[in-house]
Order: sequence, then structure tokens, then C-alpha cells
Amino acid sequence: MDASQRPEMTEHQKQQLQFQLFQDSLPKVNEIVYRMLLNEAIPMAVNVQDRLSEESGGHEDNETEQGLEQDLDAKLTFDPLKDHVPSHKLLQKYLTADEEYQNKVDERLNNIGFLLGQKLSQLLIFSNNPSLNFRDMDLLAVMKFVCRDVWRQLFGKQIDNLKTNHRGTFYLLDNNYKPVESFALDEDMSQEEQTLIEPYLEIPCGVIRGVLDSLGFQEKGQVICTASITSDRESQKTGSSASSRAVLFNVQINPDR
Amino acid sequence: MSASMSGNTASSSSSKKSLKAFSDDIWKNKTAKINAELFTLTYGSIVSQLCTDYERDFAKVNKQLYSMGYNIGVRLIEDFLARTALPRCDSLAKTSEVISKCAFKIFLNVTPQIGNWSSNKDSFSIFLDENPLSEFVELPMDAARELWYSNILCGVLKGALEMVQMDCDVYFASDVLKGDQTTELRVKLNKILKDEIPAGED
Amino acid sequence: MALYSFWIFDRHCNCIFDREWTLKTNPSSGTTNSKLNEDTAKLLYGMVFSLRSISQKLGSKGSFNEIRTIATGKYRAHILCTASGLWFILLSDLGQEDLSQVLRYLYSEIYVKTVVYNWLSPVDFADSPNERRGQGFRKIRNRQFLLAVEKFLGPMVN
Repeated sequence: MDASQRPEMTEHQKQQLQFQLFQDSLPKVNEIVYRMLLNEAIPMAVNVQDRLSEESGGHEDNETEQGLEQDLDAKLTFDPLKDHVPSHKLLQKYLTADEEYQNKVDERLNNIGFLLGQKLSQLLIFSNNPSLNFRDMDLLAVMKFVCRDVWRQLFGKQIDNLKTNHRGTFYLLDNNYKPVESFALDEDMSQEEQTLIEPYLEIPCGVIRGVLDSLGFQEKGQVICTASITSDRESQKTGSSASSRAVLFNVQINPDR
Repeated sequence: MSASMSGNTASSSSSKKSLKAFSDDIWKNKTAKINAELFTLTYGSIVSQLCTDYERDFAKVNKQLYSMGYNIGVRLIEDFLARTALPRCDSLAKTSEVISKCAFKIFLNVTPQIGNWSSNKDSFSIFLDENPLSEFVELPMDAARELWYSNILCGVLKGALEMVQMDCDVYFASDVLKGDQTTELRVKLNKILKDEIPAGED
Repeated sequence: MALYSFWIFDRHCNCIFDREWTLKTNPSSGTTNSKLNEDTAKLLYGMVFSLRSISQKLGSKGSFNEIRTIATGKYRAHILCTASGLWFILLSDLGQEDLSQVLRYLYSEIYVKTVVYNWLSPVDFADSPNERRGQGFRKIRNRQFLLAVEKFLGPMVN
């Protein structure tokens, strides 16, 4: 269709359309491999924690039994699955671990998110998104960028609701947090379920920190992001399935010192 | 169903075309997709965190990536079988073809070349001309020596193949990230595992 | 049309799910773990196992001759065997000629989405080697799976 026949299309809409076409033309992979990669990152972080604490525990033996260790190393290269633990069992370990252990796992995941967020915002900025103009962007505009562009990249949907007190505190509500939509334990285990889903909120928290970092909010402790599962009634009313979980991200940005 | 038919006629030349067409159709019409670059960046962030956690002891990173892949592989195979309805392959040649033309196509939208068959036909190589895990990635010197950056793929294949009763060794023989000419993934079949039978039946 | 029961066996010959609608004793539970069901599961497994081996032997070498339905005087068993060694079995009245699409849906839309994509759930229900070869006892119990099965098969029961 000739563009002149659609005078109702503004310059901005044209740009948006072009941007969409450009996005569609980019190389793609199956969403499920990405989701599985993200999902497995949590048990992986638990596994790392286990292996690191084993190492520091067995430190004294290292020198006296070096021969044995080399033997062991040789075996490791033959059997890369030695001491392998399935995902759900690693998550069970997290469930029964103490708070310090859990915090270390959470921190590791948050870091992964931070690294991803930094790179992701560069990707989004360099892709010429017409809705982005960083020159005169205020804090609210930055958060809208997170809610719309960043979330759409990560989870294929936007944040459903953004609230702010206009003093640096933002509440981002995702009515159906995708990464955990299939997650369920037995009927009588909702408390355990909740605890196991919490580490699954760390990567996006890190992403938000990483994005803000790359946009100039770089002082240590300047951005604090936490998340929690909410029993939000609204999300159940608005037709999302019974299994969907609402997550509330709380972002606090302190002014430059 | 077309899926099981293409599996039934393993060696005919027409099935090679149909397996490609069959996979193309699944990729084009029945697959939710995301930007490959997001996938690359996500994987990169995970590897980078692991290198920090293990203080650049890359043997440990390789192992972690492998076991991460295994846990994904044992799940991904069910997704694959649900999408394709393919039966078990009756030869390793057929398996290699399904891996490259079907599995890599449907999940990563690439179709690597298969080659380098051993003389007794029990092992082959997958040549990854394109690798969505490592697009635009460059390794620092120390990592380039020891890190198998895409080692997660070995674990995925190991886990997935084991679930269809194939006990294989899967490892990287070379990687362009290390300055090699090709990225070559080696698959060696150790044995076909027997289906279990109930205790007391044998 | 009537559906009598639904069964899943895993690669370790274990029954990891059973749901019998004809049992009046425990109508709401999806996991009637009675002794009766255990025995029925073993018999059902044995029947499918034997007939499946025979039909595979009767097929020419290299081609697949997978068993799909078995009819007796009282019911029909509909079977889906995946390459990963899972068996999905539905028992129905004799009027049901073909439930293969229903079985495929149970596998790809329900099992894959609520068990395979569910990182809190195992995909291998045998926790140790001595729970293999039909000696396992663990079942799929997760909320979403039970709900989805009931929602999908419930309307077909009677």
C-alpha cells in the first residue's frame, strides 16, 4: 500500500513500524532454549555454591594429598558428570539451606542479571529505537524504558503497572511473571513453592540495576532493587490463568551524591 | 502424521528433503522466538559470572557448563519429541541428521554440517559454522587456552541422547574462539542402552 | 463416550501417574494410591509390554511397528509411547476408535508444560537405582499437572 494513502500515520508511527520490521529481521532462536537457560541458571548457582564451599572445606588436604587430587582431576576430565545433581534437587538444597547460603546464591544470580542488564541496554540503545531519546531523559522516562523496552526484550511483554512517589521510588508490577509460570509443587506446599521462586526474581532485579548503571546511575548503592511475589487480586480478575504469579519489583534510586 | 512418516523412511533420499521441510515448517509456524542476541548476551553473562566464581579455573567452568547443559538436555528432549513426534532413530547416521537438520534448526535456527565419521561409524562431528552462543564473543588470552566457551552444548546433547537410550561422549574438538579454523563438536556413541524391564522378568 | 482411566509409565517401568474415574471411593483425588491401583498398573504395564514386544518383532527390521490400541471385550486401551520411553495410556469404552490426538495433547501440552518446564519437578521420578525397573513409587503430584489433567479429561469421562 502506498504510504501517501495513509495520512493518519504520524512520523512517529512510521518510525515505530520501521523499528518493528527491523526487530523482526534480526536473527532469532527458539524462546524455549532461552527460557530453559534462564531457569537452569538458578540450580546452577546453587551447584556453584556447593562446589565452592566443598573446596574451602577441604582446603587443608590439598597439599598433603596432591597425588590423589591429580588422580581425581584426571577422572574429572573423563567423566564430566561426576557428582552431577539434577535441577530439582539443587533447588531442594536451596530450600533447606541457611540464610547466608541463600544470600550468596541470590547475589550470584543478581550479578548475572547486572551483567546482562548492562549489555542489554547497549543493545537496545544501538538498535535505534525511535521511542528512545536519552539526551533529555528524566528518571521517569528511564523507568518507562525499563518497563517497556527492557521487559519486552526479556519476557516478551511489558510491565503491567508502574507507580512512583516522584522521589526516586518506583513500583513495577508484572501480573504474570513468565519464567516461573509452569512452576508448581504438590498441593500442600505453597510455602516451599514461594521460597523456591524467590531466587528466580534475582536475575531481573540485577538486570534493572545493570540497565540503570549503564544509563549513568553508577554510584555504589545508588540503585536498590528488590522483588516479591504478590497475591495481587487484580491479576486474577483480569483473566490471567490460575497459575500466573504477580511479582512486584521495588526500585529505589537515590540522587547523585 | 508426517512426522512419524519421515522417521519411518530413514534411508530414502526423499526423507532428507522432507526432514528439512518438516523442520522448517516447525521453525516458521510453530515456534515462539526471541532475539538471538538476547540469548547470546544471557549466556555470556552466565559464563562470565562462572569465570569469576571459579577464579578463572576454566576446567571447573567447563565442568559446570557441561552439567548445566545436561540438566537442560534431559528436559529439552521431551520438548523436542513433543514438537516433532519422531520415533527413535535406527542408525547413528540418522541420529546425526536429526540433530543437525531438526534439533539445531528448531532450537537455534542453524543447520550445522555433519562429517568426520570414524571408520567404524561410531562417531561423527558437528561443524558449527554459526554458533548463536558465541556470536561476537572474544575471549581473553587465559580463557582462550582452556575455556570451552560453548561447553553447555555438549551437556545438552549428552543428556538428550541419553534419554533416547544412546550413551555418548560429547566434547569439543576445536573452537574458532580459540583461534581454530572450525568449531567442531565430537559425538561418540559408546553403546545403545537397553530399555529397562521390570525386576524379576529377566 | 466414556473414559475409564489414565496412566503414565516412565522409562523405569514405573507408574508415575494414575487416575481412575470409575473408582467411587476417592473421586476427587488424582492420585489414588491404593493397593488395587498398584496391582492394576502392573497388569496393565505387563499387557502393553508383551503386546508391544510382539508387534515390534512382527514389524520388518528397521521400521517401527508401535502399538497404538488394544481392545478387549470390555474396554479399549489407547497407547502413546515416546522415544524417551514414556507411555501414556487411556482406557475407554469400546466406542472410542482413536484417542491418539488426546494422548498427544496430554504429552505435549500437559506433561511437557507442567512437568518438563516445571523446574521444581523432577523429570526422572526414580530417585535411586533401586527405584528403577518397576520398583519405584513416586508419582507426579504437582498442582498444575493435576489441574490440567482434570480440566482436559474430566469432560470426557462420561
